Amino acid sequence: MQKRRSRLGENGIWPYVLLLPALIVMVSVVVIPIINAVGMSFQYYNLTRPNRTAFIGLDNYTKILGSKLFWQSLWRTLIWVFFGVGLQFVFGFMLALLLNRDYRGRGVVRAVSLIPWVTPGVLIALMWRWILDGNYGVFNDLLKKLGIISENVAWLATKGTAMPSVITTIVWQGIPFFAIMLLAGLQGVSHDLYEAADIDGATRRQKLFYVTIPSLRNTIYVTTMLRIIWVANSVDVIWNMTEGGPAYATQTLSVYIYKEASSLNMGFASAMAILLMLVLLLVAIPYLRSTFGQEG
Amino acid sequence: MKKFLALLVAVMMLAAATAVADSTITFWYWADNPDYSKTMQDMIADFNATNGKGITVVGEEYPWDGGGFSGNLLTAAIGGGGPDVATFKLTATPSFVGNDLLEPLDSYLDAWENKDEINDSLYEVMRSAGGKDSIYVMPWNTQVLYVYYRPSMFEAAGVTVPTTYEEFLDACAKLTRDTDGDGKTDVYGFGMRGSNGGQEPWGSFIYAAGGSFEHLDSEESIQGMKDYISLFQNGYAPATAPNDGFAQVIDAFKSGLTAMTIHHIGSSAQMMELFGEDVGAFIFPAGKGQWTSMGDTETVMFASCKDKEGAFEWMKYLAAGKGQETWCTVTGNVPVAASVQALPVFQENPFMQVSIEGQPVAGILPVLDTTTEWISNWPSMIQQALMGDITAEDCMQQLQAALWE
Repeated sequence: MQKRRSRLGENGIWPYVLLLPALIVMVSVVVIPIINAVGMSFQYYNLTRPNRTAFIGLDNYTKILGSKLFWQSLWRTLIWVFFGVGLQFVFGFMLALLLNRDYRGRGVVRAVSLIPWVTPGVLIALMWRWILDGNYGVFNDLLKKLGIISENVAWLATKGTAMPSVITTIVWQGIPFFAIMLLAGLQGVSHDLYEAADIDGATRRQKLFYVTIPSLRNTIYVTTMLRIIWVANSVDVIWNMTEGGPAYATQTLSVYIYKEASSLNMGFASAMAILLMLVLLLVAIPYLRSTFGQEG
Repeated sequence: MKKFLALLVAVMMLAAATAVADSTITFWYWADNPDYSKTMQDMIADFNATNGKGITVVGEEYPWDGGGFSGNLLTAAIGGGGPDVATFKLTATPSFVGNDLLEPLDSYLDAWENKDEINDSLYEVMRSAGGKDSIYVMPWNTQVLYVYYRPSMFEAAGVTVPTTYEEFLDACAKLTRDTDGDGKTDVYGFGMRGSNGGQEPWGSFIYAAGGSFEHLDSEESIQGMKDYISLFQNGYAPATAPNDGFAQVIDAFKSGLTAMTIHHIGSSAQMMELFGEDVGAFIFPAGKGQWTSMGDTETVMFASCKDKEGAFEWMKYLAAGKGQETWCTVTGNVPVAASVQALPVFQENPFMQVSIEGQPVAGILPVLDTTTEWISNWPSMIQQALMGDITAEDCMQQLQAALWE
């Protein structure tokens, strides 16, 4: 008994017993569905044609990798994530710096700035769809009154403007997330560092780049990694604004997967979801390594 | 102790009796606007209060979403979470029958005293859709797509109601006008639906040009596609057309942005309320061929339903009972029950007359196991053609392959 206890550690089996409920939940809602998805990805599995269900090996994968639409969707996913997360970070950081200053009504501003983040994505998408509507949208009206445009622009129905429109929406939604996370980080930066920088004659710009940003490095790293994964996986905003259109102009990989899955083409959608998971692991692995590395 | 046991037995017996006497039928449906939602809820309340058999229907509304309803219904039913009865479109039948989800209705129909209220030919259409000998789908109502137009706009543009396909295309051009002289288009000739559900009005162009769903890659079908693209690229439809679905084309017509658009009688009540006499309708005119979409709506009973007799009571109420009259009166849909069709409210409605006029050329998409997926992929393919990413030929070849693969 003593030998077994020493092999399991000082606390014996108890830590593992206490972990068991979480482990069961994880296996049930994560591991089993992933195994199912992997299994489906090797099948022709279309619920509208159940009679044709069959094991087809790697056919779904070869079809996807040979499809122009897949590579176009992957490219759009990169644009969506790069600009979506990048601009969220820049504006979120600016908002965090603003919210970190002392002024009257700061609490109210902090609370109000959270509104886009706590609003459901579907609602945000519908709201922006109407704002950007090509016939009755308030955005066109505003631009016309300012003399910037003379005719309505079909923001969501024109290929050149549809992607910037949905990116604007996701940026608007995600700014508060970065702002709040970075604000929490900013409040943990010691004032001694700023005082020391003042004594050394540092300018505001130097303090930002040599004190603030280095102190926030871990927060920036974690929030950016998380947001990249969330935005890459998000469907709600694009789907409710354009459904991936017009002519695939806003179809990211996650929207493509959703579209195929909602057409009940489950085998094909699963194969694509596995590929997206592998792409996202390229982002997640450095994050996991750094997290576990720090623990080690 | 004895008293307690007696009480327990009494409670159990009461519970058992209640379970036998009462049943709850879950019913999924879609409604095109809030008025129709309320009508359906009122009908459910009426049925629950009057059926006298302890049947309680619980209605759950889901959006039609340009056909997304059928996919969601299929997913829910396969996952074990579907309803007992649902509203339905015939084109979805193969997917549901193929997954053994629907209850055959033959024995219930044979025992139904009002079976003859519905024309035999309609039952045969229902039977052929399932690809088996049984009937899985109960007729409820039909809608024939036609063109809504604004007589005042026709008059201002000097256009008469088109009687040929060529005249229709010409009218789209003439009705596109700059009404205030600022050099910009204020009224578009045609409200085009490039997003979900647009395949139905689009089909009229394909047939009018001499094509068909059977040969989407024929020269004639491709010409129909070219005509459709021209309407958009020449600016006779709003620039938002590629993304416009049902709500957008109806709103554009109601706001006066478009002079013509295509929908069925379901929108007529709203149109008349808004425009009074300044709204009319005509069947999409013939060219080399003529076709318009028959928007069928049926009900189905799921095999998993526990009280099938109760469920069929509700389906009867909708098909030939008071539900048939109420629903068709409010929505203006064409009733399937002969006694309801004969009511003055239907005989005197001008939009009903146009619907009836269109019935000989009305049809549905081919009922295949590819149809549901083809419908959901239609917008992406059409949008590419409208925007010039692919040619009309490429688009039609892709659509042909996707439907008839």
